[in-house]
Amino acid sequence: MGNELQEIDLLNQVNDEAAASASRALSKLIDKPVDVGISKADVKRVEELSPLIGQEEVVAGIYLPVTGDIKGAALLIFPKETAFTLSDLLVKREPGTTRKLVELDKSALKEVGNIISGSYLTILSNVLQIKIVEHIPNFSFDMFGAIVSQIITDFAQKTENALVIEIEFIFKPETLKGYFLLLFEVEQLKAMLGSVGGGGIKDLLP
Amino acid sequence: MSDIEVHMGDIAVMKGAHNLITSGVGSCLVITLHDAKLQIGALAHTMVPSSAKRETEYGQRMSARLSSKTSSDGQACLVKERVSTKTKETKYVDVAIDQMLKGLEANGAKRKDLEAKLIGGANMFPSIASDDIGKDNVLSAKDKLNAKGIRIVGECVGGSQGRSVEFSPTTGIVTVKIKF
Repeated sequence: MGNELQEIDLLNQVNDEAAASASRALSKLIDKPVDVGISKADVKRVEELSPLIGQEEVVAGIYLPVTGDIKGAALLIFPKETAFTLSDLLVKREPGTTRKLVELDKSALKEVGNIISGSYLTILSNVLQIKIVEHIPNFSFDMFGAIVSQIITDFAQKTENALVIEIEFIFKPETLKGYFLLLFEVEQLKAMLGSVGGGGIKDLLP
Repeated sequence: MSDIEVHMGDIAVMKGAHNLITSGVGSCLVITLHDAKLQIGALAHTMVPSSAKRETEYGQRMSARLSSKTSSDGQACLVKERVSTKTKETKYVDVAIDQMLKGLEANGAKRKDLEAKLIGGANMFPSIASDDIGKDNVLSAKDKLNAKGIRIVGECVGGSQGRSVEFSPTTGIVTVKIKF
Protein backbone atom coordinates (compact mmCIF):
# COMPACT_ATOMS: atom_id res chain seq x y z
CA MET A 1 0.00 0.00 0.00
CA GLY A 2 2.77 2.40 0.93
CA ASN A 3 4.51 1.60 -2.29
CA GLU A 4 1.36 2.09 -4.27
CA LEU A 5 0.83 5.57 -2.87
CA GLN A 6 4.42 6.43 -3.58
CA GLU A 7 3.97 5.36 -7.19
CA ILE A 8 0.82 7.40 -7.61
CA ASP A 9 2.66 10.38 -6.13
CA LEU A 10 5.42 9.72 -8.61
CA LEU A 11 2.97 9.75 -11.54
CA ASN A 12 1.35 12.93 -10.25
CA GLN A 13 4.74 14.51 -9.98
CA VAL A 14 5.55 13.51 -13.56
CA ASN A 15 2.18 14.90 -14.69
CA ASP A 16 2.72 18.24 -12.94
CA GLU A 17 6.23 18.71 -14.22
CA ALA A 18 5.31 17.65 -17.75
CA ALA A 19 2.36 20.06 -17.79
CA ALA A 20 4.54 22.94 -16.63
CA SER A 21 7.21 22.15 -19.16
CA ALA A 22 4.71 21.80 -22.03
CA SER A 23 3.05 25.07 -21.01
CA ARG A 24 6.37 26.91 -21.27
CA ALA A 25 7.22 25.40 -24.65
CA LEU A 26 3.76 25.99 -26.14
CA SER A 27 3.66 29.57 -24.87
CA LYS A 28 6.86 30.19 -26.75
CA LEU A 29 5.50 28.58 -29.91
CA ILE A 30 2.20 30.50 -29.90
CA ASP A 31 3.67 33.63 -28.34
CA LYS A 32 0.74 33.79 -25.94
CA PRO A 33 0.35 32.48 -22.42
CA VAL A 34 -0.72 28.82 -22.53
CA ASP A 35 -1.62 26.78 -19.50
CA VAL A 36 -1.50 23.05 -19.97
CA GLY A 37 -3.33 21.21 -17.26
CA ILE A 38 -3.59 17.48 -16.83
CA SER A 39 -7.08 16.79 -15.65
CA LYS A 40 -7.05 13.02 -15.77
CA ALA A 41 -4.45 10.28 -15.78
CA ASP A 42 -5.63 6.73 -16.00
CA VAL A 43 -4.33 3.23 -16.35
CA LYS A 44 -6.40 1.25 -18.83
CA ARG A 45 -6.36 -1.88 -20.87
CA VAL A 46 -5.48 -1.05 -24.45
CA GLU A 47 -8.71 -2.45 -25.80
CA GLU A 48 -10.76 -0.34 -23.40
CA LEU A 49 -9.54 2.77 -25.17
CA SER A 50 -12.08 2.87 -27.95
CA PRO A 51 -15.11 4.18 -26.02
CA LEU A 52 -13.13 7.35 -25.22
CA ILE A 53 -14.33 9.17 -28.33
CA GLY A 54 -16.89 8.02 -30.91
CA GLN A 55 -15.41 5.51 -33.34
CA GLU A 56 -16.44 7.53 -36.39
CA GLU A 57 -15.63 10.96 -34.96
CA VAL A 58 -13.05 12.76 -37.08
CA VAL A 59 -9.93 13.65 -35.12
CA ALA A 60 -6.40 14.83 -35.70
CA GLY A 61 -3.99 12.17 -34.48
CA ILE A 62 -0.30 12.76 -33.94
CA TYR A 63 1.57 9.53 -33.41
CA LEU A 64 5.17 9.26 -32.20
CA PRO A 65 6.78 5.83 -31.95
CA VAL A 66 8.86 5.41 -28.80
CA THR A 67 11.96 3.22 -28.48
CA GLY A 68 14.92 2.94 -26.16
CA ASP A 69 14.79 0.97 -22.93
CA ILE A 70 11.05 0.80 -23.33
CA LYS A 71 9.04 0.35 -26.51
CA GLY A 72 5.77 2.11 -26.98
CA ALA A 73 3.79 4.85 -28.61
CA ALA A 74 2.74 8.37 -27.80
CA LEU A 75 -0.50 9.51 -29.41
CA LEU A 76 -2.01 12.95 -29.18
CA ILE A 77 -5.65 13.26 -30.22
CA PHE A 78 -7.60 16.44 -30.96
CA PRO A 79 -11.26 16.37 -31.99
CA LYS A 80 -11.85 18.02 -35.37
CA GLU A 81 -13.11 21.41 -34.14
CA THR A 82 -10.34 21.57 -31.56
CA ALA A 83 -7.75 20.91 -34.23
CA PHE A 84 -9.21 23.77 -36.29
CA THR A 85 -9.19 26.21 -33.35
CA LEU A 86 -5.68 25.17 -32.44
CA SER A 87 -4.59 25.74 -36.03
CA ASP A 88 -6.01 29.27 -35.89
CA LEU A 89 -3.83 29.89 -32.84
CA LEU A 90 -0.70 28.22 -34.17
CA VAL A 91 -0.75 29.66 -37.66
CA LYS A 92 -2.09 33.03 -36.40
CA ARG A 93 -5.30 33.13 -38.41
CA GLU A 94 -8.46 34.93 -37.44
CA PRO A 95 -10.28 32.75 -34.91
CA GLY A 96 -12.81 30.46 -36.55
CA THR A 97 -11.34 30.63 -40.04
CA THR A 98 -9.63 27.24 -40.31
CA ARG A 99 -12.04 24.78 -41.92
CA LYS A 100 -9.51 22.52 -43.58
CA LEU A 101 -6.05 21.41 -42.51
CA VAL A 102 -3.33 22.30 -45.00
CA GLU A 103 0.31 21.17 -44.78
CA LEU A 104 1.23 24.15 -42.58
CA ASP A 105 -1.47 23.23 -40.07
CA LYS A 106 -0.39 19.62 -40.03
CA SER A 107 3.23 20.60 -39.35
CA ALA A 108 2.13 22.94 -36.59
CA LEU A 109 -0.01 20.24 -34.98
CA LYS A 110 2.84 17.76 -35.29
CA GLU A 111 5.03 20.27 -33.47
CA VAL A 112 2.47 20.44 -30.66
CA GLY A 113 2.68 16.64 -30.51
CA ASN A 114 6.43 16.88 -30.33
CA ILE A 115 6.31 19.40 -27.50
CA ILE A 116 3.75 17.61 -25.40
CA SER A 117 5.14 14.13 -25.74
CA GLY A 118 8.70 15.45 -25.51
CA SER A 119 7.91 17.21 -22.23
CA TYR A 120 6.25 14.15 -20.79
CA LEU A 121 8.76 11.56 -21.92
CA THR A 122 11.79 13.61 -20.86
CA ILE A 123 10.46 13.85 -17.33
CA LEU A 124 9.39 10.21 -17.29
CA SER A 125 12.84 9.15 -18.46
CA ASN A 126 14.48 11.28 -15.74
CA VAL A 127 12.27 9.95 -12.99
CA LEU A 128 12.57 6.30 -14.02
CA GLN A 129 16.20 6.74 -15.05
CA ILE A 130 15.67 4.98 -18.35
CA LYS A 131 16.50 5.86 -21.92
CA ILE A 132 13.47 6.90 -23.95
CA VAL A 133 13.87 7.82 -27.62
CA GLU A 134 11.02 9.68 -29.22
CA HIS A 135 10.70 9.43 -33.00
CA ILE A 136 9.38 11.94 -35.50
CA PRO A 137 5.66 12.63 -35.37
CA ASN A 138 3.24 11.16 -37.91
CA PHE A 139 -0.05 12.77 -38.72
CA SER A 140 -3.48 11.47 -39.61
CA PHE A 141 -6.85 13.22 -39.86
CA ASP A 142 -9.57 10.60 -39.94
CA MET A 143 -11.92 8.46 -37.85
CA PHE A 144 -10.82 8.08 -34.23
CA GLY A 145 -11.39 4.34 -34.27
CA ALA A 146 -9.31 3.84 -37.38
CA ILE A 147 -6.37 5.83 -36.00
CA VAL A 148 -6.34 4.37 -32.51
CA SER A 149 -6.94 0.80 -33.60
CA GLN A 150 -3.82 0.81 -35.75
CA ILE A 151 -1.70 1.80 -32.76
CA ILE A 152 -3.49 -0.70 -30.53
CA THR A 153 -2.97 -3.40 -33.11
CA ASP A 154 0.78 -2.94 -33.01
CA PHE A 155 0.57 -3.85 -29.34
CA ALA A 156 -2.01 -6.58 -29.66
CA GLN A 157 0.52 -8.50 -31.71
CA LYS A 158 3.18 -8.37 -29.05
CA THR A 159 1.25 -8.35 -25.83
CA GLU A 160 -2.29 -8.68 -24.51
CA ASN A 161 -1.95 -5.74 -22.15
CA ALA A 162 -0.41 -2.33 -22.34
CA LEU A 163 -0.34 0.64 -20.05
CA VAL A 164 -2.36 3.61 -21.20
CA ILE A 165 -2.17 7.00 -19.63
CA GLU A 166 -5.05 9.19 -20.65
CA ILE A 167 -4.61 12.88 -20.15
CA GLU A 168 -6.75 15.86 -20.97
CA PHE A 169 -5.02 19.06 -21.94
CA ILE A 170 -6.72 22.37 -21.51
CA PHE A 171 -5.31 25.20 -23.57
CA LYS A 172 -6.18 28.58 -22.14
CA PRO A 173 -7.63 31.03 -22.86
CA GLU A 174 -9.38 28.98 -25.55
CA THR A 175 -9.80 25.97 -23.26
CA LEU A 176 -9.14 23.26 -25.78
CA LYS A 177 -9.20 19.65 -24.80
CA GLY A 178 -7.14 16.88 -26.26
CA TYR A 179 -6.07 13.44 -25.23
CA PHE A 180 -2.53 12.24 -24.77
CA LEU A 181 -2.08 8.51 -24.74
CA LEU A 182 1.08 6.72 -23.78
CA LEU A 183 1.17 3.05 -24.55
CA PHE A 184 3.92 0.84 -23.25
CA GLU A 185 4.29 -2.87 -23.24
CA VAL A 186 3.43 -3.81 -19.71
CA GLU A 187 6.03 -6.53 -19.27
CA GLN A 188 8.75 -4.07 -20.18
CA LEU A 189 7.35 -1.42 -17.92
CA LYS A 190 7.09 -3.83 -15.03
CA ALA A 191 10.74 -4.75 -15.43
CA MET A 192 11.67 -1.12 -15.65
CA LEU A 193 9.79 -0.14 -12.51
CA GLY A 194 11.28 -3.13 -10.76
CA SER A 195 14.72 -1.84 -11.61
CA VAL A 196 14.05 1.47 -9.87
CA GLY A 197 12.43 -0.29 -6.94
CA GLY A 198 8.90 0.84 -7.65
CA GLY A 199 6.44 -1.80 -6.54
CA GLY A 200 3.13 0.00 -6.49
CA ILE A 201 2.41 0.60 -10.17
CA LYS A 202 3.30 -2.98 -10.95
CA ASP A 203 0.43 -4.10 -8.77
CA LEU A 204 -1.95 -1.64 -10.39
CA LEU A 205 -1.25 -3.04 -13.82
CA PRO A 206 -3.53 -5.64 -15.32
CA MET B 1 -34.71 -2.28 -38.09
CA SER B 2 -31.99 -2.22 -35.49
CA ASP B 3 -28.45 -2.85 -36.60
CA ILE B 4 -26.13 -5.06 -34.65
CA GLU B 5 -22.71 -3.64 -33.93
CA VAL B 6 -19.69 -5.89 -34.16
CA HIS B 7 -16.81 -4.59 -32.06
CA MET B 8 -13.12 -4.75 -32.82
CA GLY B 9 -11.87 -8.31 -32.46
CA ASP B 10 -15.39 -9.83 -32.55
CA ILE B 11 -17.32 -11.88 -35.08
CA ALA B 12 -21.04 -12.30 -35.63
CA VAL B 13 -23.01 -14.90 -37.56
CA MET B 14 -26.45 -13.74 -38.59
CA LYS B 15 -29.62 -14.83 -40.32
CA GLY B 16 -32.42 -12.35 -40.49
CA ALA B 17 -33.12 -8.81 -41.44
CA HIS B 18 -30.76 -7.06 -39.05
CA ASN B 19 -27.68 -5.50 -40.60
CA LEU B 20 -24.28 -6.03 -39.07
CA ILE B 21 -22.29 -2.81 -38.68
CA THR B 22 -18.79 -1.96 -37.56
CA SER B 23 -17.02 1.39 -37.57
CA GLY B 24 -13.61 3.00 -37.38
CA VAL B 25 -11.82 0.38 -39.45
CA GLY B 26 -8.21 1.41 -40.10
CA SER B 27 -5.51 -1.21 -40.46
CA CYS B 28 -8.05 -3.72 -39.16
CA LEU B 29 -9.72 -5.96 -41.72
CA VAL B 30 -13.43 -6.61 -41.94
CA ILE B 31 -14.29 -9.93 -43.57
CA THR B 32 -17.84 -10.75 -44.63
CA LEU B 33 -19.08 -14.17 -45.72
CA HIS B 34 -22.43 -14.60 -47.39
CA ASP B 35 -24.54 -17.53 -48.53
CA ALA B 36 -27.12 -16.22 -50.98
CA LYS B 37 -29.14 -19.46 -51.03
CA LEU B 38 -29.69 -19.57 -47.29
CA GLN B 39 -29.57 -15.79 -46.89
CA ILE B 40 -27.14 -16.09 -44.00
CA GLY B 41 -23.99 -14.11 -43.38
CA ALA B 42 -21.10 -13.53 -41.03
CA LEU B 43 -18.88 -10.55 -40.30
CA ALA B 44 -15.53 -10.36 -38.54
CA HIS B 45 -13.65 -7.24 -37.43
CA THR B 46 -10.12 -8.63 -37.28
CA MET B 47 -7.00 -6.83 -36.08
CA VAL B 48 -3.93 -8.94 -36.73
CA PRO B 49 -2.94 -11.35 -39.49
CA SER B 50 -2.28 -14.67 -37.87
CA SER B 51 -2.41 -16.59 -34.61
CA ALA B 52 0.46 -18.79 -35.79
CA LYS B 53 3.10 -16.86 -33.91
CA ARG B 54 1.16 -17.06 -30.69
CA GLU B 55 1.92 -19.48 -27.90
CA THR B 56 -0.65 -22.21 -27.60
CA GLU B 57 -1.65 -20.96 -24.16
CA TYR B 58 -4.25 -18.65 -25.60
CA GLY B 59 -5.19 -20.98 -28.40
CA GLN B 60 -6.16 -23.64 -25.91
CA ARG B 61 -8.31 -21.22 -23.98
CA MET B 62 -10.12 -20.31 -27.14
CA SER B 63 -13.62 -21.60 -27.33
CA ALA B 64 -16.37 -20.98 -29.76
CA ARG B 65 -19.15 -19.41 -27.81
CA LEU B 66 -21.85 -19.38 -30.36
CA SER B 67 -25.25 -19.08 -28.87
CA SER B 68 -28.60 -19.25 -30.49
CA LYS B 69 -30.93 -16.39 -29.89
CA THR B 70 -34.20 -15.41 -31.38
CA SER B 71 -34.54 -11.76 -32.17
CA SER B 72 -37.61 -9.72 -31.39
CA ASP B 73 -39.10 -10.14 -34.85
CA GLY B 74 -38.96 -13.91 -34.47
CA GLN B 75 -36.20 -14.47 -36.98
CA ALA B 76 -33.42 -16.81 -36.08
CA CYS B 77 -30.37 -14.88 -35.09
CA LEU B 78 -26.98 -16.20 -34.18
CA VAL B 79 -24.69 -13.78 -32.51
CA LYS B 80 -21.33 -14.58 -31.07
CA GLU B 81 -21.21 -13.53 -27.47
CA ARG B 82 -18.68 -10.89 -26.60
CA VAL B 83 -15.67 -12.68 -25.29
CA SER B 84 -13.48 -10.98 -22.69
CA THR B 85 -10.79 -8.94 -24.39
CA LYS B 86 -8.07 -11.08 -22.90
CA THR B 87 -9.09 -14.15 -24.81
CA LYS B 88 -10.56 -12.53 -27.88
CA GLU B 89 -8.89 -14.87 -30.33
CA THR B 90 -11.15 -13.78 -33.17
CA LYS B 91 -8.96 -10.70 -33.49
CA TYR B 92 -6.72 -12.96 -35.60
CA VAL B 93 -7.70 -13.13 -39.27
CA ASP B 94 -7.22 -16.90 -39.52
CA VAL B 95 -9.07 -17.74 -36.31
CA ALA B 96 -11.93 -15.41 -37.22
CA ILE B 97 -12.40 -17.10 -40.60
CA ASP B 98 -12.41 -20.54 -38.96
CA GLN B 99 -14.96 -19.42 -36.39
CA MET B 100 -17.21 -17.78 -38.99
CA LEU B 101 -17.15 -20.96 -41.07
CA LYS B 102 -18.00 -23.01 -38.02
CA GLY B 103 -20.99 -20.81 -37.27
CA LEU B 104 -22.19 -20.75 -40.88
CA GLU B 105 -21.74 -24.48 -41.46
CA ALA B 106 -23.58 -25.24 -38.24
CA ASN B 107 -26.49 -23.49 -39.90
CA GLY B 108 -26.28 -25.51 -43.07
CA ALA B 109 -24.14 -23.22 -45.22
CA LYS B 110 -21.87 -24.88 -47.79
CA ARG B 111 -18.40 -23.54 -48.50
CA LYS B 112 -18.93 -23.63 -52.25
CA ASP B 113 -21.88 -21.27 -51.86
CA LEU B 114 -20.04 -18.77 -49.72
CA GLU B 115 -18.81 -15.47 -51.07
CA ALA B 116 -16.30 -13.32 -49.22
CA LYS B 117 -15.69 -9.57 -49.21
CA LEU B 118 -12.76 -7.74 -47.63
CA ILE B 119 -12.86 -4.17 -46.30
CA GLY B 120 -10.13 -2.19 -44.52
CA GLY B 121 -6.46 -3.04 -44.26
CA ALA B 122 -5.42 0.61 -44.56
CA ASN B 123 -2.31 2.26 -43.23
CA MET B 124 -3.38 5.34 -41.29
CA PHE B 125 0.23 6.52 -40.97
CA PRO B 126 1.75 5.85 -44.39
CA SER B 127 4.94 7.66 -43.41
CA ILE B 128 5.73 4.61 -41.30
CA ALA B 129 6.03 2.16 -44.15
CA SER B 130 8.04 -0.48 -42.36
CA ASP B 131 5.20 -2.07 -40.49
CA ASP B 132 2.22 -2.24 -42.80
CA ILE B 133 -0.06 -4.46 -40.76
CA GLY B 134 -3.08 -3.62 -42.91
CA LYS B 135 -1.46 -5.17 -45.94
CA ASP B 136 -0.49 -8.25 -43.92
CA ASN B 137 -4.09 -8.62 -42.77
CA VAL B 138 -5.33 -8.61 -46.37
CA LEU B 139 -2.71 -11.14 -47.49
CA SER B 140 -3.47 -13.42 -44.56
CA ALA B 141 -7.20 -13.32 -45.31
CA LYS B 142 -6.67 -14.10 -48.99
CA ASP B 143 -4.42 -17.04 -48.15
CA LYS B 144 -6.86 -18.45 -45.65
CA LEU B 145 -9.92 -18.00 -47.86
CA ASN B 146 -8.14 -19.56 -50.83
CA ALA B 147 -7.08 -22.50 -48.67
CA LYS B 148 -10.70 -22.97 -47.60
CA GLY B 149 -11.91 -22.73 -51.19
CA ILE B 150 -14.00 -19.61 -50.63
CA ARG B 151 -14.39 -17.11 -53.43
CA ILE B 152 -13.54 -13.46 -52.83
CA VAL B 153 -16.06 -11.42 -54.81
CA GLY B 154 -15.23 -7.92 -53.68
CA GLU B 155 -12.71 -5.85 -51.81
CA CYS B 156 -12.23 -2.29 -50.66
CA VAL B 157 -8.81 -2.39 -49.06
CA GLY B 158 -5.58 -0.43 -48.61
CA GLY B 159 -5.03 3.30 -48.81
CA SER B 160 -4.78 5.49 -45.75
CA GLN B 161 -8.37 6.16 -44.81
CA GLY B 162 -10.70 4.93 -42.11
CA ARG B 163 -13.82 3.04 -43.13
CA SER B 164 -17.16 2.08 -41.66
CA VAL B 165 -19.01 -0.99 -42.84
CA GLU B 166 -22.64 -2.05 -43.05
CA PHE B 167 -23.43 -5.62 -44.12
CA SER B 168 -26.77 -7.20 -44.90
CA PRO B 169 -26.70 -10.93 -44.14
CA THR B 170 -29.82 -11.35 -46.26
CA THR B 171 -28.66 -9.73 -49.50
CA GLY B 172 -24.91 -9.85 -48.90
CA ILE B 173 -24.67 -6.18 -49.84
CA VAL B 174 -21.78 -4.36 -48.16
CA THR B 175 -21.86 -0.57 -47.83
CA VAL B 176 -18.58 1.19 -47.05
CA LYS B 177 -18.49 4.73 -45.66
CA ILE B 178 -15.47 7.00 -45.64
CA LYS B 179 -15.12 10.48 -44.17
CA PHE B 180 -13.28 12.20 -47.00
